[in-house]
Amino acid sequence: MLDKIAVTGVGVVAPSGIGKRQFWANVKSGRSFIKEITRFDASKYPSHIAGQIDELEKYSHIPERLLKKIDAFSHMALIASELALQDAGIEIRNEDPNLIGIFLGNALGGWLYAETELRDMYIEGRQGVSPYMASAWFPAAPQGQVSIYYGIKGFSKTVVADRASSLEAIGYANKTLQKGKLNMILAGGMEAPVTPYALLCCNTYGGLSEDNEHPETAYRPFDKDKSGFVIAEGAGIMVLESVERAQKRGANIMATISGYASTCDGANRINPDTYGKQLARAIRLVLERAKTNPEEIDFISLDGLALDLWDNSEVTAIKEVFGNNTKDIPVSCPKSMFGNLLGASGALDTIITVLAMENGLIPPTINLENPNPNGLNYVANQAREYKINKALIISRGRGGINAVLIVEKP
Amino acid sequence: METKTKIKDTLVKLLKIKPEELKDEVSLQDSIGVDSTEMVEAVIALEKAFSTKFSAKEITKFSTVNDIEKIITSKF
Repeated sequence: MLDKIAVTGVGVVAPSGIGKRQFWANVKSGRSFIKEITRFDASKYPSHIAGQIDELEKYSHIPERLLKKIDAFSHMALIASELALQDAGIEIRNEDPNLIGIFLGNALGGWLYAETELRDMYIEGRQGVSPYMASAWFPAAPQGQVSIYYGIKGFSKTVVADRASSLEAIGYANKTLQKGKLNMILAGGMEAPVTPYALLCCNTYGGLSEDNEHPETAYRPFDKDKSGFVIAEGAGIMVLESVERAQKRGANIMATISGYASTCDGANRINPDTYGKQLARAIRLVLERAKTNPEEIDFISLDGLALDLWDNSEVTAIKEVFGNNTKDIPVSCPKSMFGNLLGASGALDTIITVLAMENGLIPPTINLENPNPNGLNYVANQAREYKINKALIISRGRGGINAVLIVEKP
Repeated sequence: METKTKIKDTLVKLLKIKPEELKDEVSLQDSIGVDSTEMVEAVIALEKAFSTKFSAKEITKFSTVNDIEKIITSKF
């Protein structure tokens, strides 16, 4: 069993930027990228703001012939994979394709494709539906498209676990590499919820901010005036490999993954346990697996749904585990700047944490004027210079899914 | 428009390929790597373009542009 797994490359496609340089420059500046939805008329929806990517084609290397067969979430995954491989300095053709895997997470699937084809089916009949419908919409489509594009043939997996999907995918990727089953894994997630039907479902769920008049300040996790979360689209994919292999090929090891744990609340079909008991247990489990004392954690990336029950239970769980040390650990929820990528949110949180570790700078939680609940060392509104050695990343999903990951500075 | 030109035009637009990639005598699979799903799409597009329906037997004979032209010409 291998001890630690290295992160050697990251690929980001997010409302705050495509590619790690642009993304990091925007994220550290504390600038909001939440805007009114302009892609379609969303004005009748209770919440019609989101983190959108407007210039995807400009950064795309995908031929038109393939583009018409895939949904936006696969397109984003293909771009993020290419960026991650470039960042890691990997030439796939020099690798054994049987020993490369793809572990990706998402919550919704490819709704833009599904919606338009369903519309065509009801208007034009069966003949009006694209034959690619069957292979474009389903949650594992991005995994398939990435494998076809690069000729990857190793053990791979798609995880659907609501907003915790991509952190779970990274956790499974970590376990698979630890067992020595593969040489390398593309791990992360993608989500494309800014479509009419997906937005409707998110609105029906009831957790979205309806502060449409003020998009930039609408997503306010851990603030007294929180009003719910804001959806976003994008993808975050990392290259993971063993530390030994990374060292051997002279790769830049950005961080190492030292542990992963996941628990279920078993409390409610949507909401988490009020006191975050199982989240606290997941945190204790991951600390144990990473052979880390609570005092060694010097940054926590928060899930931050900006709903009282979710934020309160998250803070309660952190306080339960870290006790008196809680106030000494800087915490942040940078997704307040670009929105919640749902199933891909954990991957973006991990990438931000890795970049924060590399740059010695914690990006802020914006719109945090009056912290509630109190008692955490929030990095509010402005980035903070801070040397991180060990960080904890929390990602949670509806129905009480708690995923927790620990990353370390190499 | 000549039948062959119309067939090529339909396929070029549908598959987002360059016109010179299509060869009259080479199968669509060998010349432009058409897969089975693309073939389904091509059949639907050609049915629309020529306001006709192809039988399953006719579709199995869709290989080259010339083959398709022969089948369409025989229907009119």
